Amino acid sequence: MDNATGYRVMDMRTDDILARRTRRQRKTAIIAVVLFGLVVWSVDVTVIQDTDWARIGSLGEVMEAAGQFAGIDFSLFPSLLGPTLETLLIACLGTAMGVILCVPATWFGAMNITPFAPITYPIARLMMTLSRSVHEIVWALFFVAVFGLGAMAGVFAIAMRSIGFIAKLSAEAIEDIDPGPVEAMRATGANTFQVMLYAIMPQVLPQVIGTVIFEWEINIRRSAVLGLVGAGGLGLVFFRQMNTFNFHGVTSVIIAILAIIFLGEAISHAIRRRMI
Amino acid sequence: MTTNATPTDAALPKKWSRFKYPDSLYSYAGWLIAFTVVVFSIEYLNIPLDRLFGMFGRMGEVIAQRYYPADIDYIMDRDYLGYVIETIQMAYLGALFGLLITIPLAWFAAYNMTPSRLFVYPGARMFSMSCRAVHETIWAILFVSILGYGMLPGVLALTLFSAGFAAKLFAEEIEAIDMGQVEAMRATGANLFQVMVFGVFPQVRVAFTGIAIYTWDVAFRAATVVGFFGAGGMGWYLKRSVLQIETERVAAIILSIIALVLVSELLSAWARNTVMKMK
Repeated sequence: MDNATGYRVMDMRTDDILARRTRRQRKTAIIAVVLFGLVVWSVDVTVIQDTDWARIGSLGEVMEAAGQFAGIDFSLFPSLLGPTLETLLIACLGTAMGVILCVPATWFGAMNITPFAPITYPIARLMMTLSRSVHEIVWALFFVAVFGLGAMAGVFAIAMRSIGFIAKLSAEAIEDIDPGPVEAMRATGANTFQVMLYAIMPQVLPQVIGTVIFEWEINIRRSAVLGLVGAGGLGLVFFRQMNTFNFHGVTSVIIAILAIIFLGEAISHAIRRRMI
Repeated sequence: MTTNATPTDAALPKKWSRFKYPDSLYSYAGWLIAFTVVVFSIEYLNIPLDRLFGMFGRMGEVIAQRYYPADIDYIMDRDYLGYVIETIQMAYLGALFGLLITIPLAWFAAYNMTPSRLFVYPGARMFSMSCRAVHETIWAILFVSILGYGMLPGVLALTLFSAGFAAKLFAEEIEAIDMGQVEAMRATGANLFQVMVFGVFPQVRVAFTGIAIYTWDVAFRAATVVGFFGAGGMGWYLKRSVLQIETERVAAIILSIIALVLVSELLSAWARNTVMKMK
């Protein structure tokens, strides 16, 4: 209290802190108001104005429409085995092809091993973004146009869609490696290929395999819908059941999809736990 | 992995091998299984290997002849812009509702914080897994068949999709918290809800904001195609052009999707960085 200068310094500091806090609170409030305004606007446009409430009717009618799906068409299950296996195999083959295709993208996309950074690095980044930003349905549409209907279009669509994720995570893993072994390999006169095979690969392999298995798991659920645009598998059966208004059959197909996805999740969990 | 131990005895093996006995067996078995699966899939799916390499030439041909001069004028249109805005709104609402569901769902599905490990935990896990397991386009088709065409089914489909996606990440985040603060809260006699609000939430707030932004980004990507099955947004434009075999317009629409996704990705990366810095 007697030390006037010290008191003033304290005072200034307190003021400063308080002012900063007010500013921060004001900023948060503005952001919150803007976000809330966007919510109100979006709800108004998408939910209130765009919806045909007369068609939907009362809640009871909605429940009735949803109730059509309550029931399982057991007679469909024997004929689902083939498409289920097809879906699973499309996912496996698509992931395998994605792994092969992502090798150049990973190599070019890791800053520490890219051959010529100003050119190859942006190319790899572009490949990754292109692969991830185009939805699997769109990829499938394109490949159906190229290869015709069938599983092959699905395999290519899955492969293209997988590149981005695998390459991005693998490239990040490579960027984080310990440079020691690489230098040691170089010092013994190893060429680029040998350095990659013996110094980089062993360091990133567990991470890459984990990523690939995770992507495989996602690819199962992707390959289950590719049939909707003509690329084979369970999606085709789903489409057919939907168009013949066999709603119980739709539920059966969804159960088949859930079954293979849970299977995939169990396998991937088991493998990843064993590896780590 | 391989160990770098230096063998000191004189009995060195003549030939160096990267994997020692049990590891080498696993490695061979892994390769064998992978090879068998690949061969079997190629056989089962009737993939014409002999024509495979000719196909790439055909792919170039198709792109050059049908898709190449993308019809940019077609998408430089007020109507199309309206659909783009609708898509963004759909993604925004879907992600928002999904995140609102996520908060209790992740709480119930986090093993360390769940109110009941016997009943609530498996139920919440099953629900979030099923939301994730069923693809967003299937949700869209189901909701369209129940509610009719429009954006509401799209929003609902994206809601379930985002809930499944975010709940997994968020539950993992909750499982990784420091339990000390939770125990301290419990020791003072706080109830479940108070523990959650004052013990857990401050620890995961920043991570949750990051997950929320990422969820919006992913929901936007999904929103670009739910319209393909009648749930509103630019997917409907895509479907129309595909059905009319207006491939140059399709190319233009795909290009616009790529551009929008790029922008949203940059925005989300920037927003996440800002949030991380504010921590």
